[in-house]
Amino acid sequence: MPGIDECLLEAMALPGARGASLVDWTSGLALGTAGDSPVGDHETTAAETAELARSAAEFDSFTAAGDSEGPPVEDLIVTTRAGYHVLRFVETSFDSSVFLHLWLDRDAGNLALARLRLRDLAERLVLG
Amino acid sequence: MSRAAVSPMLVRLAAEKATGALLRDHGTLYLVDGRVVHAESPAAPGVDVLLTTGGRLPREGWDEAVDRAGAHRAVGRFLVDSGRLHDGELEICHLGAVFDAAFFALSPTSGPTRFRYGVGHWFGTVRPVSAEAVERETVRRRELLDAVWPYAAVDTSPVVPRPAAPGQTVGARQRALLAAADGERTPAELARLLGRPAFHTLLDVRRLAAAGLVETPLAPEPEPGPVPPPLSATLPVADPDIALLRRLRDALEAHL
Repeated sequence: MPGIDECLLEAMALPGARGASLVDWTSGLALGTAGDSPVGDHETTAAETAELARSAAEFDSFTAAGDSEGPPVEDLIVTTRAGYHVLRFVETSFDSSVFLHLWLDRDAGNLALARLRLRDLAERLVLG
Repeated sequence: MSRAAVSPMLVRLAAEKATGALLRDHGTLYLVDGRVVHAESPAAPGVDVLLTTGGRLPREGWDEAVDRAGAHRAVGRFLVDSGRLHDGELEICHLGAVFDAAFFALSPTSGPTRFRYGVGHWFGTVRPVSAEAVERETVRRRELLDAVWPYAAVDTSPVVPRPAAPGQTVGARQRALLAAADGERTPAELARLLGRPAFHTLLDVRRLAAAGLVETPLAPEPEPGPVPPPLSATLPVADPDIALLRRLRDALEAHL
């Protein structure tokens, strides 16, 4: 039954992991952070990734499909020249708007593995 | 960026690693060893409202936790140990509530600030946050609200929806907010009704007002304290003709 810190530490154990955080996408608040931020400041990164997550979570084109339970958008992947950013939405059974953000080194990181692990972590964070 | 402390007393108490309750006009911060462990404000829904409104926790489950663990100041711990909540859920919900209440507790006030040494909160410690982080986040939130739509009058007025422009869409969370806005409920009342943090609701209302989907009251209530500097040289600050600005924007957008 991991809490926020254990969850972020597990994410940081992934190959190529450089930084991880749990962010509220309505407010842009970082609820927890581990490792580094690409800009040297986790709070700035949280506010910026929150804007990206909010767009994906709210635009009809991404959310229209899907009659199943849970948030319609599962994750977002941003590929840069130097790295990958994976944003995984966390579903809670009370009203919230949080996601996990993992920043991976482009060469050392394994995107497929990271996606799977983040999905697992996002579930265990709230389901134990 | 240099920022003045929102509460010099909080900075001092953090430095001396104080334990106790910081009482201000709009709420209370609880410190343990100089770190913030809990916060409460009449303006912000508590953890109980956040957890029970959406049905995550039955009200009886909450009441029982308070009955059994309140005296030991370990209600949060009890909720997890008794299997009612998972660690991650408790931390996410509680942190959200703490930063939310702290935002209002640390709002500018002319009233007295007092500190009661040794006083703790019955909820107990979940995930302590540094006082600096709480201060920084509170300032960031103030600036964020004004960056989105610099008219504080929408924060306390009844939320009155406006019709959407053709083709204009709204996300699911804001749709739920608009659906609950009956023209009389204020953002604080909507937050309680929806079981959401009050700041999140303020922010969504300002975003909706900026998008023209919620009315902006033309006469903001007079604010005590120093007169704020003009927002910009081109805006008539005293009486912004928001309807005109909206029409202008709609016309511009129609030509995009």
